[in-house]
Amino acid sequence: MLKRKRIMRTALVLSTGAFLFAPGHALSMEAEDAPESVTIDAMAKHYEPVEFDHLLHVDYASCQECHHHTTGVKVADPDCIRCHANSPEADEVSCAECHAVDRFTTKYLLTHNDPELYHIDKPGLKGAYHLNCIGCHVIITGPTGCQDCHTMTEAGEKMFNTGKHAPAKGASSDAHH
Amino acid sequence: MKLFSKKRPEIPIVHHTKEDGSAWTIKEKLCLGLSIDDYKKQFIRNPVNWFMAMILAIGIPLILGRYAFGLGWVTHASNDYPWGLFLGFGLFGMVPLSASGFMLGTTVELFGRKDFHAIERLALLNGLLGYFFAVVFLEIDLGMPWRLPYPMFVSLGPAAVLFLVAWHVATYLSVQIAEVLPALFEWMGWLKGKRIIRKYVLGLTVAGIILSTLHQGALGALFTYAPAKVHPLWISAQFQWIHFFVSSIFGGLSMVIIASTLIINFMNWRCDDDFKDNLDYITIGLAKGASYAMITYLVIKLVAVAHDQEWTYLLTGWGSYYMLELGVAVVLPMFMFALGIRNNWVTLIRFGAFITAIGIIWNRLNTSLICFNWQMYQEIPHWKEVWITVTIYAIYFMTYRFIVYRLPIVYEWKGER
Amino acid sequence: MKKLSRRNFIKGGLATTAAVAVLKEKKSKASGDFDNYPEGMGVIVDLTRCVGCRSCEAACNKEQGLPEPAVPFDDFSVFDYMHHGEKRRTDETAYTIVNRYNPPAIDHPLFRKVQCNHCNEPACLTSCFVNAYTKTPEGAVIYDASVCVGCRTCMVACPFYIPTFKYSSAFTPRIMKCIFCYDTRLKEGKPPACVEACPQEALTFGKRVDVLEIGKQRIRRNPDKYVDHIYGEHEVGGTAWMYLSSVPFDQVGFDTHVPKEPIINSVKEFLAMVPMVLTIWPGLFVGFHLLATKKDRVREMEKEAELKKAKENDEKEEQA
Repeated sequence: MLKRKRIMRTALVLSTGAFLFAPGHALSMEAEDAPESVTIDAMAKHYEPVEFDHLLHVDYASCQECHHHTTGVKVADPDCIRCHANSPEADEVSCAECHAVDRFTTKYLLTHNDPELYHIDKPGLKGAYHLNCIGCHVIITGPTGCQDCHTMTEAGEKMFNTGKHAPAKGASSDAHH
Repeated sequence: MKLFSKKRPEIPIVHHTKEDGSAWTIKEKLCLGLSIDDYKKQFIRNPVNWFMAMILAIGIPLILGRYAFGLGWVTHASNDYPWGLFLGFGLFGMVPLSASGFMLGTTVELFGRKDFHAIERLALLNGLLGYFFAVVFLEIDLGMPWRLPYPMFVSLGPAAVLFLVAWHVATYLSVQIAEVLPALFEWMGWLKGKRIIRKYVLGLTVAGIILSTLHQGALGALFTYAPAKVHPLWISAQFQWIHFFVSSIFGGLSMVIIASTLIINFMNWRCDDDFKDNLDYITIGLAKGASYAMITYLVIKLVAVAHDQEWTYLLTGWGSYYMLELGVAVVLPMFMFALGIRNNWVTLIRFGAFITAIGIIWNRLNTSLICFNWQMYQEIPHWKEVWITVTIYAIYFMTYRFIVYRLPIVYEWKGER
Repeated sequence: MKKLSRRNFIKGGLATTAAVAVLKEKKSKASGDFDNYPEGMGVIVDLTRCVGCRSCEAACNKEQGLPEPAVPFDDFSVFDYMHHGEKRRTDETAYTIVNRYNPPAIDHPLFRKVQCNHCNEPACLTSCFVNAYTKTPEGAVIYDASVCVGCRTCMVACPFYIPTFKYSSAFTPRIMKCIFCYDTRLKEGKPPACVEACPQEALTFGKRVDVLEIGKQRIRRNPDKYVDHIYGEHEVGGTAWMYLSSVPFDQVGFDTHVPKEPIINSVKEFLAMVPMVLTIWPGLFVGFHLLATKKDRVREMEKEAELKKAKENDEKEEQA
């Protein structure tokens, strides 16, 4: 009878301790929690949506390189550690949660009137993707061309006067002679 | 005309009436008192007219093409060099050479130097025609020439230097027309008109000198809008307007010397004794005025270099070009004038005047085209642009000649004045 | 007449005081003081971000209805195009272009977007004698083709060689330049087409004061990445479009010798002369005239005096 009570008490202490201490340790998201593939289509107009191979990238980079501190992994940039040394994982880690699609609308720009706003240079979603992805691909050889990640749509070909919408050969809009 | 004037005593026309008492009609006056056949004969005989015909044969279609197809058809359509020969030569070059109007007007009417009276009308005509054709050149160059009155009546931008140029040239042109009209009225026989204008001579002259000072200077000040684009030796924010104004003084006087030289040599039949006898004295007098202006100009140029500390630029290739321009265009003719004045060598003075006029055009082309965008490639004007410029100048020459052939410019009207 | 009660007097007094307090004091500013309208927008162009994709050129072309280009916008051979030793520049078919530079110190090319810088005190505006240019409160420098006469002084004045002329047109030529997408976007607070199109967010749009602060912060946070200078902060009196670069600006095609003051300052020396000449010359030259004709007038006076004397003598003789 006494032995069972001791075992139960130890178990209670151990489990309580586990629940108390565990969050302090790196209970960050695990790689297994990550989706295998993400379809990025928030701004698909001139190019097709990107089929992002998330699983592949998990092997290449640590979570914080793309998700900053939101997965609970400690950030590397000393400038960020100043405030985010102990930031826990966030509820949402999707890029679009913080990086706005419409970065330059009047509504968004009004937020810059807040004198206490620190992150005044937060890029919009399109900028965040390209700066981050291409920024890394340039260092660790990866796709850097526009169509390497997303093919151009019909609308895109129109906008860039390319493909089916390319100007006729020999046509010159150059006024200079 | 020389032959005709020898054969018939009443040619050239200096009276309202012929020897038999009947009046010359305007048509006859226009034909220089000759029959239509005789007029055509003397016109065709003149080799200068063949040269003019050649120039106009290509030039007139080019001008029509400029309006039909746009400026891009006659220029290189350069966005780096928006101004070409039409403005560089036609406006910036011809306007200082036409400063003779206010110079001689001031000399005779304001300073009371009646000894220059014989050349006064020629100088006024030179000024009027020069400004008039400068406006013609402007109308060729403007993208939308039908909008010429806009800065005056439609949309005013008074802070701009060009606004001043536009208003002043328009006003000054009116002043000059008024100053030359007496000659026309004399010739036509409408003496009332002449007397009305003569009443206002002093006011017109003072207006002329105010307007001229400002717009001659303003044409220079236009380049202060691009202080980094013109080579430092050719631009000075503080003194540019003085450079352009002072050089217009000796430019205008030199142009009068040139015009009178051409007239006395090739239009001798038209000149009366008063003009012929006094021309040498007057030429020396004009050279005196010009040389004072030239030494002033050289001093102010030196001051400008010192003020902006541009001495090191003088040691560069551009610096050598600058000193060449000053030397050949100003110093050399100044010495020619000095020698000519001292020794009464009128021919030397005339050569000096010719060099001076070329020098003024050279300086204006340097400022507006050659030393403009000095750190970039050099733009060479399109041949059509060159030809059109020559064509308009030829038309200016022919207009000048047309008027001097007829109106009492280099002779005194013997009839009722 | 209404009786002025104490209550009404106090009410009136308070109302007037409130009105006076609310009315803003009008400050007069000399040129060179103008820092853009307070709500004026701006863009900071970060050359470390631009990859030369030319999306901005394509977007501008469509937004402004410009002619079809000679080659597609994803053709990068245009970066090799040279005209008389100069790289591409704006022309009547392109309000903005991107050029590539190969600065010696770095191992990869840098790209620079060229467009109207929408200066605070534009040279084009101050040089225009028909008032064709306007600096709008939103910060754009726009152009009115209905009053332009085509004199092309603005093209001479612009230190950045931006305005271009439609030389190809015979009857409707005009100046062609970037207008910050004012008519279609900026008026409604929307960003210009090029800013929206840029994938790398090399163009950051916002109030000029805000984007300037962003630029300064980028330099502060990455001192090794950027040259410590924002081109356009003070150049020609400050421009709405500014630049950040990782190499000295003259290596990427910027003219570092443009004055730090607005262009109008170099013209003011002459403009100050104008009222002086207008007021002094008349007196001066009439004075000269009086001096010059002094002898004649003295002679006339003497003649008149003589005549008068002679007349008097005659009268005396007659009387005698």
